[in-house]
Amino acid sequence: MKLFTRYLRINLMVTLLIFVLASLAFYFLLWYVTIHQVDEDLKIEQREIQFYVKKFNRPPEPLNVKDQSVSFEVSAITKAYRKFSTIPSPNKSQTEEFREISFTILVNGQWLLFKVSKSMETVQNLNRSIILISLVTIITILLVSLLINRWQMRRLWKPFYGTLDNIEKFRLGEKGALHFEKSSIVEFELLNSRIDQFIREAEKEYFLLKEFTENASHELQTPLSIVRSTLDVLIQDENISESQSHSLQTAYSAIQKMSKLNQSLLLLNKIENGQFTETQIFDFKTLVEQKMADWQELWQGRNLKIHSSLHSTQINMNEQLAEILLNNLFSNAARHSAEGGSVFLKLDEQVFEISNTANNGALDPGKLFIRFSKAGQITDQHGLGLSIIKQIARVSNKIVSYHYKDDRHFFSIRF
Amino acid sequence: MKVLIVEDEKALSELISTYLSTEQYVCEIAYDFSSAMKKIAHYDYACIILDINLPGGSGLNILKELKARKKTEGVLIISARNSLDDKLMGLNSGADDYLIKPFHLPELAARVSAIIRRKSFEGNNILTFEELELDVLSKTVYVNGVMIDLTRKEYDLLLYFISNKNKVISKDAIAEHLWGDNMDIADSYDFIYTHIKNLRKKLISSGVKDYVKSIYGMGYKFSS
Repeated sequence: MKLFTRYLRINLMVTLLIFVLASLAFYFLLWYVTIHQVDEDLKIEQREIQFYVKKFNRPPEPLNVKDQSVSFEVSAITKAYRKFSTIPSPNKSQTEEFREISFTILVNGQWLLFKVSKSMETVQNLNRSIILISLVTIITILLVSLLINRWQMRRLWKPFYGTLDNIEKFRLGEKGALHFEKSSIVEFELLNSRIDQFIREAEKEYFLLKEFTENASHELQTPLSIVRSTLDVLIQDENISESQSHSLQTAYSAIQKMSKLNQSLLLLNKIENGQFTETQIFDFKTLVEQKMADWQELWQGRNLKIHSSLHSTQINMNEQLAEILLNNLFSNAARHSAEGGSVFLKLDEQVFEISNTANNGALDPGKLFIRFSKAGQITDQHGLGLSIIKQIARVSNKIVSYHYKDDRHFFSIRF
Repeated sequence: MKVLIVEDEKALSELISTYLSTEQYVCEIAYDFSSAMKKIAHYDYACIILDINLPGGSGLNILKELKARKKTEGVLIISARNSLDDKLMGLNSGADDYLIKPFHLPELAARVSAIIRRKSFEGNNILTFEELELDVLSKTVYVNGVMIDLTRKEYDLLLYFISNKNKVISKDAIAEHLWGDNMDIADSYDFIYTHIKNLRKKLISSGVKDYVKSIYGMGYKFSS
C-alpha cells in the first residue's frame, strides 16, 4: 500500500469520526439550547398568566392560535406545581412537536391547572437548516481536503520519486554522477544528501578496488613477461632432456593461462572504464561471417558442424567490442560442444543467437555470468569469458541471455 | 646490426638481449631514460626496443628526440599497457610497431627483423634462407625461381621460422603468432602440428631440405 493511501485512509477515518461526533454534539447542544429558549418563553407566558390572575382574580380566556394554545382545568394537584414536557402536535395534520408547560395557580381558593403549549416548528426548522448546512460544509471540507491532499501529496512526493528514479538509473562506476533535484523539504534534502554520501563512499571503494585490480594486473605483466622470456631462452639449451621438456611445457601452459587471465581482467577493467565508448553502425552479419572464417579451422578440427542462418542486420555498437563478444561466444560454443556436435548461428533484426549441442547438460543460469564460476568442468576455461560477454552487452545496451533446450545451450544477444 | 634495448626491468632486458644476440644482432641495453638518451645521441642502431614507462622519463620522449635528430632507427615499443590510446600514441609518434607484455621472445624477434627489413632493404623485399626466397610484399615463396603454393598460415609460419632461425620456438609462441589472443592455446596445438606437417610436405616436395625439427613435442626449430 502506498504511504499516501495509508495516510489518507487513517486521516479520512479519523476526520469522519470527529466530524460525526462533533455533528452529534452540535445537534444535541442546539436542541438543548432551543428547548431552553422555548421553555424561557413558556415561563414568560406563565408569569403573564400569574400576573393576570393576581390582577383580575380570574383565569384568562383560553386561547388557541396556530402555534400557541392556552387552556386550564380544575387541577387534581392541590399545591404549586410546574412541569415542562414535549408533546405531539394537537393538530393531527401537523408533524412538528409542541413544548408544553403545565402549572397550577390558586384562583379564588381553587387550584387550576394551566397548560400553555408552543409550537416548535420554527426552532425545528432552524435546527434542520443548521444541521443541513453543517453536513454540507463537512462533506465539502472532506472532499476538498481529499482533492487538495491528492494534488499536494503528488507534488510534495515528487522529489522522492525523482530520487528513486535517479537511483534506479544509476550504475556504480559509470560516468555521470547522481543528480538530485533541489527540494525545499528538509526530509528529502536529508535523504538525498545521505544517498549522495553513501554512493560517494561506495563509488570511492569501487574505484579503489578497480584501480587495485588494474594495477595488480599491470604489475603482473612484467613478471609474466620475464617468466615467459626465461622459458623462451631456456628451451634454446640443446641439452634439455625429454622429461625436462615436459616440465617446461607445463610451465608454458601455466604461464599462458595466467597471462590470458590477466588480459581478460584488464579487458574487463577497460570495458568498465568506458574505454570502448565510440560506436558505429555496421552490418553484424559481415562481422559474424568474418569471425566464422577465423574459427572455421578450429571448429573443423573438433568435427563441429556449423549451421547458420544469417540476415543482414545493421547494429550500433563498438566494433572492437563486437569482435571480442563474438570471439568469446564462439570460443564458448566450441568449448561446451561435444566432439562431432553442432553449432547453430541465427541472426535477424532483433537477435543474434548461437546454440550448440551440449556435452554436459544445462549450465546454471544463476552463476553463469559471474566471474570465475566454472559453469562446466572444463579446466581450460579461465572463468571470465562469460562475464566479458555480459559486460560488453551491458555497455552496448544489448541483452544477453542463456537458456537450455533440447540438449542445446542457447546464448542470445538481443539488439 | 646493433639493437638497443631500453627497458628498466633488468631481467627482461637481459633475456631479450640473450635471445636476440646471435651472429645477426649485437645488443646494447639502457635501463633508464637518461642513459637511453645518451646512447641514441652517440650511436646509430638498426632497431630500438623501447619500453614506455621508464625511470626518469617517458619512452615517448625518446621517440620525439629520435625524430628531432632525424634518426632513422626502427622503433618497437614494448608496453605493459594494452590500450589502444597508448598504441596509437606510440605509432603516431613514429614507432614502427607495438608489442604488449607479456610477449614471446620469438614474436619480438620476428617483429624486430621485420622492422629492420623494412628500414634497411628499401626497395628490396626479398628475404632469403638457403634456397628459399620469400617476397615479403606479395607474401610468396620461391625455390630456385619456382613459386611454392602456400596458404596464408603456412607462409606466416615459414616467415616466423626464418625470423627465428636456429632457435627453438615453443608451440605456445607459434600458436599465439598464428591465431593471436582469440583462441585457447591448448585447443590449437593440433592445428600447429597440421600446419607444420603441411608446410614441411610442400617444401620437401619442392626440393627444399627439411629444416624443421620437432623438439620433444615442446616446440620446433628451423635450422640449416
